[in-house]
Amino acid sequence: MEDRIKIFKIILLIIFAVLILRSFQLQVIKGDYFYKLSEGNRTSFRPISAPRGKIIDRDGEILVSNKLSHDLYLLPNEISPEIEIETLIENIANLTSLKYENLLENYEFSKDNINNRNGLILKRNIDKENMVILLENSEELPGVLVRESSVRDYVYSETASHIIGYVGEISKKELEKYSTQGISSYHVQDMIGKSGLEKEYESYLKGVNGIRQIEVNNLGEKVKELGSKAPVPGNDLILNIELDFQRKTEKILNRHIERLIKEAEDDPERYPPTGGSAVVMNPNNGKVLAMASYPDFDLSTFTSGLSEKDYQGLTANPLKPMLDRNTMAAVPPGSLFKLVTGTAGIKFLNINAETEFEDENGLFYVPQWSRPFRNWHPGGEGVLDFTKAIARSNNIIFYKLGYRLYEKYRGEKLVQTALNYGLGSKTNIDLPEEKAGEVPVAPINENKGVWNPGDSVNLSIGQGGLLTTPLQLVNYISAIANKGTLYRPYLVDKIVNADGEIVYHQQPKVLKELDYNEELFNILHEGMEEVTMSSYGTARSTFRDFPISVAGKTGTAQSGTTDVSHGWFGGFAPSEEPQIAVLIFIENGSSSSYALPIGGDIIKEYFNVEKDSKVENGEENTAEGENTDTVVDNNSSDLEKLDKYISEVFSSN
Amino acid sequence: MQLNKKLFKNINIYIPITMILLIIIGMFAISSAVEINRVDSNGSIYLKKQIIAAILGIIAAIFIQFFDYRIFKEYYQLIFGSMVIILFMTHLYGSNIGGGRRWIDIGFINFQPSEVSKIVLVLVLATILDRKDELDSLKDMILPFVYFLIPFVLIILENDLGTALVLLVILIAMLYVAGFNKKFLYGFFGGGFLTVITLISSHIFFNTPLPFLKEYQLNRLIAFINPNIDPQGIGYNIIQSKIAIGSGRLTGKGLFEGTQNQLNFLPEKHTDFIFSVLGEEFGFIGVLIVITLFIILFWQLFNIALEAKDRYGKLVVTGIIAMFFFHVVENIGMTMGLMPITGIPLPFISYGGTSLVTSITAIGIVLNINIRKKKLHF
Repeated sequence: MEDRIKIFKIILLIIFAVLILRSFQLQVIKGDYFYKLSEGNRTSFRPISAPRGKIIDRDGEILVSNKLSHDLYLLPNEISPEIEIETLIENIANLTSLKYENLLENYEFSKDNINNRNGLILKRNIDKENMVILLENSEELPGVLVRESSVRDYVYSETASHIIGYVGEISKKELEKYSTQGISSYHVQDMIGKSGLEKEYESYLKGVNGIRQIEVNNLGEKVKELGSKAPVPGNDLILNIELDFQRKTEKILNRHIERLIKEAEDDPERYPPTGGSAVVMNPNNGKVLAMASYPDFDLSTFTSGLSEKDYQGLTANPLKPMLDRNTMAAVPPGSLFKLVTGTAGIKFLNINAETEFEDENGLFYVPQWSRPFRNWHPGGEGVLDFTKAIARSNNIIFYKLGYRLYEKYRGEKLVQTALNYGLGSKTNIDLPEEKAGEVPVAPINENKGVWNPGDSVNLSIGQGGLLTTPLQLVNYISAIANKGTLYRPYLVDKIVNADGEIVYHQQPKVLKELDYNEELFNILHEGMEEVTMSSYGTARSTFRDFPISVAGKTGTAQSGTTDVSHGWFGGFAPSEEPQIAVLIFIENGSSSSYALPIGGDIIKEYFNVEKDSKVENGEENTAEGENTDTVVDNNSSDLEKLDKYISEVFSSN
Repeated sequence: MQLNKKLFKNINIYIPITMILLIIIGMFAISSAVEINRVDSNGSIYLKKQIIAAILGIIAAIFIQFFDYRIFKEYYQLIFGSMVIILFMTHLYGSNIGGGRRWIDIGFINFQPSEVSKIVLVLVLATILDRKDELDSLKDMILPFVYFLIPFVLIILENDLGTALVLLVILIAMLYVAGFNKKFLYGFFGGGFLTVITLISSHIFFNTPLPFLKEYQLNRLIAFINPNIDPQGIGYNIIQSKIAIGSGRLTGKGLFEGTQNQLNFLPEKHTDFIFSVLGEEFGFIGVLIVITLFIILFWQLFNIALEAKDRYGKLVVTGIIAMFFFHVVENIGMTMGLMPITGIPLPFISYGGTSLVTSITAIGIVLNINIRKKKLHF
């Protein structure tokens, strides 16, 4: 037995000797060879770009995917010094339909930025004909190469363009930003999300590039492939949005605004709107169901690399098509704000639905100030109870509330209520850019200026330095609809990887639980139902004989910069058990009455109700002006003067 | 349950020392393989787990010293039965990680029963082979073969070809040392080997069905024979591992400096291909040190086998040597392209809790035999 153990021992020693010899052979004898392979003297690492993640609606309809494209490359180190690069580019331009100036511009732009051996891109996404021409003439075009890559493929390139955003070549700044963050996976000429979800979720969408390791000879020619690492495709975003509803919302918004623009052309008294937006949200969780902004832009113009001219065209357009009004327009909300004033009144002044107010003559005087604040409806509306005051959007009564709040609390409670509803702060929607707007905070922060009674009065109807975004307002309407919870609005529900596994699932996030009792919200709901469904409500023209119960509020706001007002409608439906909150904004739209039919059509579309002709006719009636709640007379410049004067008067006291 | 202090006079101190050195080297290599030096790495969790496993293993190894090793002889049927049940359970309820149901979740940890089965087989075969000195006939082969075949088949069903091969090597080594008739052994295993070759060739050339072997396992064999056949696919691991080791040259690129490792060109680098990381970052000198440590360890294990006071002890040590031997040779061999790829860890060095605990426990058993090698004189 001992003998056999010894034999076993010898066998083992021999085998270990073989292992040692083998490692000697690999590391010492052939060590330099392997070292060069590994160090890249004789290996070249060629990136394999990972397909970018798709963007998909909640039912699995694809909004954005990728398609094969061909990029035209120039490899300067393969071009012999005798050949002028300009001549080469000229040859390309002569053979193909590509423009010489354009190619030269791209070459001049990238030649200084690029020091890798992969070559520089002369033109992205060239068409098939040009590609064939270039391949056929490749012998006359040394160092010119066509490589496969992929570009964004938009099923509808003008749908949800603000939400989706565009991708573009990484800028020097972005490269530096990533490298200071320790992220080294980006290279010159990489494509990167530049706006919208493409930017917000860049890290998820990007994927991980693969690498191909190639053994090359001293001329850089491929000898053999040593191995490759397959790219990991980017993760797919699954939105809360439903594609079909999004498209219909956009269509409705575009159709109405284009109609208003056309009508204004024919009518010298009217101003053409300069933009608009519509957003639909689930008030019970903050899911954004549709979000449209007018005018929109075509995402596909970005896929072949935007030329300087295209970019100029987009940015110089006075209507600012790249601007997402929902998140980036910070404008006064006008009478939509009255629900904030109402909330403060109920909470701090013991107002209830039956409390009566009187509008004697359509004028309100701030004590010690001789010029009156006016209602949009001249001559006085008599005695109104509180909910009717909401329904009529009566300025006088809300001035009175604002002033009574001022008497008791200075501006503090009104401003605090506005902040509670999330006005003046970002909603933190999952988009890269969002304006915070502004609530004048002088009464709670003395460093921010002096607060005067006129400021409270002005603020009570949503004017006077107050700036909000449509998204903040839909969130505020939602919080009223669900009776007290302010949710964070969000677009992306889930993120799934290429294997379909969920890597991220966004749960509804509560921004704030509002400390108001149910009774308070019941009063607001009652008032908002009177706005839409009573015989005297400011939104009755669209919603009185509406197939669905809608609660809402109109608003017409001084824009502060021009004489034209913004038109607003915010509401929720069905009013008893809200499933959606809607907010319509018409930039310089003159009147809330123009926003109403847009809201109406979108709500009908959501609940899939047949259009009925009555409401169509109603659209025509709205322009009469009786239900517009414009602050007649007090145009913005006057208001500013007033503010200034009041502040002088009070500071001298 | 008493431990006479005098027993420790006999302890072979080289064994725990080399073992601990190997574990420490392993921890450096693991740290590098999981990129612990990178800010965004969560590699330290691997190191922590490995340290915990080492401590658990050492506690188990010390605990074993309180019993005379012959206790395993008395309860071998119980041990064997429990192992078979656990392997069955794994097969039915185990979790699926990396191509086979090999893991069982017992609340706070996952463990791999097939790792433990190797030691159980050693203990059981030693018990059976202890009974006879002369082993000449087919009849004597039946019982050990049955005890081998049950875990072997169960582990093959888990798709764990590597561990199954370890069991086979344990069987061959123990039968050989136990004194089986040589001609008979050669005939039996030589015949078996030829059968396998025939089956595989006929599968490749005539597409006949192939029992026990999955397609990817066959691919590994093909890649071993010719790695350049498909460098992106099946030959990838072998080529990348050879580049890694070779590029380490004499002195290595330095800890955390291995480009093959850090650029993720190495597959399974903290477990099965940890030796490639060592080779790349510590060079031929590092490789030489690791292999020398293994040789010292085996040398001392053989000494204990020769000095053990009874046949049972000798057989147990032999089995454990065979187990470690196959692990080390197969693992190092595959990283250098000398052996086909099977997913078995390098003892004491590869990352893996069950493997480390099992390996240290096995050393504990050997030390138990070591300290009781001679009768005590009071």
